[in-house]
Amino acid sequence: MASGQTLIFGIMKVINLAQGAFVIVASYLTFTLFQWTGLNPFLLIIVTTPILFALGAATQWFLLRPLRPSDAAELSLLVTFAVALGLEGALSVVYKTTLRSVQPGWENHSWTIKGYQVNEVRFYAFLLSIAMLAILYLVLAKTKFGRSVRATVQNPMSAQLLGVNSKAVSAFGFGLGVSTTAAAGAVFGLITPFNPGSHYDLISRLLTIVVLGGMGAIGGSVIAALIMGIGAALVASLSAPIWADFSFFVVLLLVLLLRPRGLFGAKVRGAL
Amino acid sequence: MKRRAVFAGVVSVALLSSSLVTSLGPTANAAGTLKIGVSLSLTGDFADSGTAAQKGYLLWQSEVNKKGGILGRKVSIKIVNDASSPDQVVTNYTNLITQSKVDIVMGPFSSLLTIPASRVAKRYGYSFIEPAGGGPKVFLEKNPNLFFVQPAATTKGGDIFADYILSLPAAQRPKTAAYVKLDDPFAAPLADNIKARFEAAGIKTVYDQTYPSETADMTPVISGVATANPDVVVGGTQNADAFAQVKAMIQLKLNPKFLFLSNGANAPVEFPKQIGIKNTEGIFTSADWYPQSTVPGSAAFIKAYIAMYKGTAEDIDPTSAEAFSAGTLLELVAKKTGKIDNKTIIATLHKGSWPTLVGNLSWNAYGEPQGAYLLTEWIGGHLKTVYPAATAQHAPVIPKPAWVG
Repeated sequence: MASGQTLIFGIMKVINLAQGAFVIVASYLTFTLFQWTGLNPFLLIIVTTPILFALGAATQWFLLRPLRPSDAAELSLLVTFAVALGLEGALSVVYKTTLRSVQPGWENHSWTIKGYQVNEVRFYAFLLSIAMLAILYLVLAKTKFGRSVRATVQNPMSAQLLGVNSKAVSAFGFGLGVSTTAAAGAVFGLITPFNPGSHYDLISRLLTIVVLGGMGAIGGSVIAALIMGIGAALVASLSAPIWADFSFFVVLLLVLLLRPRGLFGAKVRGAL
Repeated sequence: MKRRAVFAGVVSVALLSSSLVTSLGPTANAAGTLKIGVSLSLTGDFADSGTAAQKGYLLWQSEVNKKGGILGRKVSIKIVNDASSPDQVVTNYTNLITQSKVDIVMGPFSSLLTIPASRVAKRYGYSFIEPAGGGPKVFLEKNPNLFFVQPAATTKGGDIFADYILSLPAAQRPKTAAYVKLDDPFAAPLADNIKARFEAAGIKTVYDQTYPSETADMTPVISGVATANPDVVVGGTQNADAFAQVKAMIQLKLNPKFLFLSNGANAPVEFPKQIGIKNTEGIFTSADWYPQSTVPGSAAFIKAYIAMYKGTAEDIDPTSAEAFSAGTLLELVAKKTGKIDNKTIIATLHKGSWPTLVGNLSWNAYGEPQGAYLLTEWIGGHLKTVYPAATAQHAPVIPKPAWVG
């Protein structure tokens, strides 16, 4: 989720406020496909990823690309927020507002290891996120498209002069960033009940993680997600749950005050 | 500049017409269709319950119109969505009263929204019969126009569980307790009431935490409970967090001897769907209406509900019965007085006792009902009343059976 968000920022300098809503779309897609096929929700990611990619690329092509470059940074906030509201509305019409969850029957199973309970879904989700990051790394580091993306991130003007089709790269990059929500949505649907409005709670956490990791730094978003996730869980269990979410915003404020570029963000240009 | 001037003009006209409409007051529609306005959470955190309330209101509208309406006036309920937002609910009720010019307003879902909504109703002199806002802060508003349509303040919804636990022989009674509460004007005080009763009876508190409504993952919170390993867990919950609490307990293999959830566990369809029907066994909650209720009118309500919405009696959420009962009160007032206006409703409901699906209701000066809830437990995949003994359909199943995963 966060790696996709930071990728989008890295390529386009767009803060995608719809990333949480795309996660919920992915949760609903997984829910529906699971109802139809009964297949393992993790396998269904293979089907949902291209759908989310197409949704993301279409969003960029039809809604963000036409924005004037001089206003793009500010207006993209409004546009992506509108996309989030639109997706929420569409999901409310199709699925109603009843809470749903993906229930293959093993979603609550845990292994007991030395007195500790390790939930199977969360363990597989951990492996899945490593796999997703490895794929993202390979795409960005080893493919022609990846080189185009990195060139666009580092210097869009020079990249264009060297023949990189920055419009296509932006659409594909946005699609790639959104496609990461396919896996996130499947896991989210297994872990917690959701409805179309669930994206509001996701996006604030997501933005904090991206800011902490450094806008545009994929590796940084992973480290930041680990720090924030573990930190919030520790605050909730050792101190009080009421402070767990607050701790996100304390970290956000501290980062903005002390190290505005985040833990791994580049000073001037984006870094991948 | 020209545009600004036009805009300012439009705003002025709108404000002027709004104040004129306001000055007409609540008796603007003296005859014709009886227009009733309701704001409900059809999206957002309270969407499930809001939708259940919508079903209850609309079913009552259909049933009362089949009987010729109220005093010969056809009833028309206008329902608008507040998206579970306390700000939007104020806008909605203001618009319903000043723009839609409804004759009567009835309540939204949850104490959180009822409080600001009831202030609007009071400001315009409207009665405020409301089915789902019974937290203590609702009654601290000291609003004489308000009538809460449940047997008691919702913070007393756990009293019946405390009564039951404290009625057990010492050997069966829990020794330690954990309280896990949603930061909500209904859920947290309910659990706090149980805690006060338990502590006074010597049941030691080993965990007591409140979580914000944004908490989607309950695992860190329930980890704390698991570490404390209490005999009884009291969840001050609404819907989504109740499901999440149970899921986290199953994952962490925490199976207390007694588990009480204030809300969520009383959702007859959603609760078993979300946690698995076999996992519901032995979970306590409290209720006012339930499908097997023998209260007069309950069978007819179920029949009409199934005719309108399909499904079975087990599918009916108590919130639907509460909203239906809110409408029933208007019928009863009209029948008794031959009038249906806000002043009459307020004055009449403050006297006597009123038979509804959720019991015989009577209120104190600020709309707090004076009755008591029933203790129910999930047994064999159904909610059954288990306490007090006089109304019990089944003996309580204790200790709680193990989770089935």
